[in-house]
Amino acid sequence: MSIARVNRLSPYMFMAPAMVIMAIALLYPLGYMIWGSFRDWNPSQSIGEAEFVGLKNYITLWNDPNFHESLVVTLRFAFFVVSIEMVLGVGLALLLDRDIRGMSVLRTMFILPMMIAPVVVGLMWRYMYHPTIGTFNRFLESIGLPKVDWLGDYALTSIIIADIWQWTPFIFILSLAALQSLPRSALEASRIDGATPWQQIWHIKLPLMMPVLIVTGLLRLIDAFKVLEVILVMTNGGPGLSTEILALRISRTATEFRELGVAAAMSNYLLILLLLLTVGMFAFTRLQEARAARVRAAAEDDS
Amino acid sequence: MLKTLKTGVAATLLMTGAALADGHGGPYAEYAGTTLVVNFPAHPHYNAAIKVLPEFTKETGIEVEVDQLPYLKMRERQTLELAQDEGEYDLIGYVVFSKADYVFADQLENLAKYFMNPKLADPSYDAEDLIDGYVENIGVAGGAKGYLPGKTGSLFGIPFGSETSVLAYRKDIFEKHGIAEPENYEQLLEAACKIPEVEPGMGGMASRAASGHQASHAFLLHLAPLGGRVFDDQWNPIINNAAGVEAANALKTIVDCGPEGAMSFGPAEAANAFANGDAAMFMDSIAFMPGFEDPDRSKVVGKVGYAMHPEGVRRGSQTGGFGIAIPKNAENKEAAFLLMQWLTSKKGDLMVAMEGGNPSRFSTYQDAGLNEKFPFSATFGEALKFADPDWRPIIPVWGKINADIGTTMSKVLTEDLDIQAALDGVAERTRAVMDEAGYYTWQ
Repeated sequence: MSIARVNRLSPYMFMAPAMVIMAIALLYPLGYMIWGSFRDWNPSQSIGEAEFVGLKNYITLWNDPNFHESLVVTLRFAFFVVSIEMVLGVGLALLLDRDIRGMSVLRTMFILPMMIAPVVVGLMWRYMYHPTIGTFNRFLESIGLPKVDWLGDYALTSIIIADIWQWTPFIFILSLAALQSLPRSALEASRIDGATPWQQIWHIKLPLMMPVLIVTGLLRLIDAFKVLEVILVMTNGGPGLSTEILALRISRTATEFRELGVAAAMSNYLLILLLLLTVGMFAFTRLQEARAARVRAAAEDDS
Repeated sequence: MLKTLKTGVAATLLMTGAALADGHGGPYAEYAGTTLVVNFPAHPHYNAAIKVLPEFTKETGIEVEVDQLPYLKMRERQTLELAQDEGEYDLIGYVVFSKADYVFADQLENLAKYFMNPKLADPSYDAEDLIDGYVENIGVAGGAKGYLPGKTGSLFGIPFGSETSVLAYRKDIFEKHGIAEPENYEQLLEAACKIPEVEPGMGGMASRAASGHQASHAFLLHLAPLGGRVFDDQWNPIINNAAGVEAANALKTIVDCGPEGAMSFGPAEAANAFANGDAAMFMDSIAFMPGFEDPDRSKVVGKVGYAMHPEGVRRGSQTGGFGIAIPKNAENKEAAFLLMQWLTSKKGDLMVAMEGGNPSRFSTYQDAGLNEKFPFSATFGEALKFADPDWRPIIPVWGKINADIGTTMSKVLTEDLDIQAALDGVAERTRAVMDEAGYYTWQ
């Protein structure tokens, strides 16, 4: 083998172990799922025994009203959860970005909810929402208000509240980190120019935090699409299908209906949806950055 | 040294086991020293069974290692395990609706060859004493409709930890207001809605109602006694006929007159509501009943009367729970059969029952000692004569149909969906599922 050829190949040789690991750990399971989604596959069979049915699973799902309902529930859940959490989390970060005594203790306490295991969170909230012995109804009763059937009539709202409680701290902690790494010079300059605190937030802090906020929001969005345990424990998707989000439906399709192929197809739909969202989000940031660069360039031209 | 000691002890134990077995005529001698691996669900009945396993080991010299799992997890595990060439389990406890999947996938041993083998089958086993409804529901497949007994059917498992439904009611409350023990559905529904009127704050009957499996279970519980079925003999869905509507109405009435929050009850919540004194009746599996007599868990000890599942146009209480079977890929099949036979023999069944398990035999329910310990045993034995093996179909696509019935019923209960329209929808979707699964190939 010529020396030139070895030289040319050496970068690939160094990359090979990483590629192999990636292929085994990432691409193989993904490929397995995609391959499985084209089959009529029940858990008592191995994938090889399952009959190949082409796109049938995807078409069945496309026309399945229960799948549509599940999808709508997921979208509604994700929309409300992420937007409310973003507002609360960023708001809290703006409020707590200062030196108060005991601040570090306070911050630690704020992030406690997201350290609790999801199943425990589900159980906790389920008992707090309990119609007779739950904290909320006992409180309402003690101040003379009528009881509320939290997990019955207001099931979706109730699980949204629980998720907000658990995951607002995640946004809080990331926004706080972003806030504290902002260039102090810009803030000082604005203060000297006489900017009010509101103006500082609107025109300096938020725009500078934006890249972090977008990634944070995206992470939460992806998570919100996949949340399973808390809802499984709290409502198991009921009443009716009112809280049956996609992750729960996928799990039920695989274990209860024993249709692994359909479950795989549903997972792929979810994957495609998330992929589109992610790509869209990054395209949007790129667009904004490009516009900012244009503005900056124009400003430099002017001077 | 320690190792030698251990081996020594093991050898002595082995020899004693063998000797003991020999002393009993020797059917176990050949298998003494074998270690069986069994997979049991986490369930009160199996907890009781595990307590008597040392007795089996003492008598036979066969060791038993138990792998206990929550029952839904257990099903997933078994599905994986049974598909292997060589399985880990010699004996499995299985949920009744797994019968269809396992038998259809040819993963369970047909028990005929064991009962034919004179070296294995105990002549005093008395299979006639096993509760008919349970054996038909849990053990036999291949007869009528494929999942029931009949001339073409054969035995794949033996009921162990099976359940039926009975009605538990508050004797004190019923007496106070002069309400009679409900014997039919009319009286049951009347009592269910009268209680909240005369006893403020107390619900009539606590029932499962949560979306999915629970709501479906609660509906089917009323469907059979009211004369309905999910399918007719040609697999046409008839769930939307008059009996189906009546059953859905009964469930709705019960939930509407039930304790607060009844719409999201699973079986445990419903049982708790009754044990807590929030409801005057509870109709569900017998497995919950011993809990009402336990002062640590129940506020209604001694106040509970037990009655048979009320009659509609016929008697038909549920059949369900677990059975035990030998996987096709088991390593020690014959020894596993011996354990299976021992656990479900008259002696084994009574021992398990005395520890709080659910008997599989009529004779056990009549045992004086058991009735002294659990006073409701006689009623349960009577109720079992009417246990309906066909109250729900056991076919591979049932999971999907069950979920559809369950979510639709939940919508009926919470969103006031029109019952006839809702059931028509279920029937239509069920027909599509059945069509796809090939049930109409011959039509």
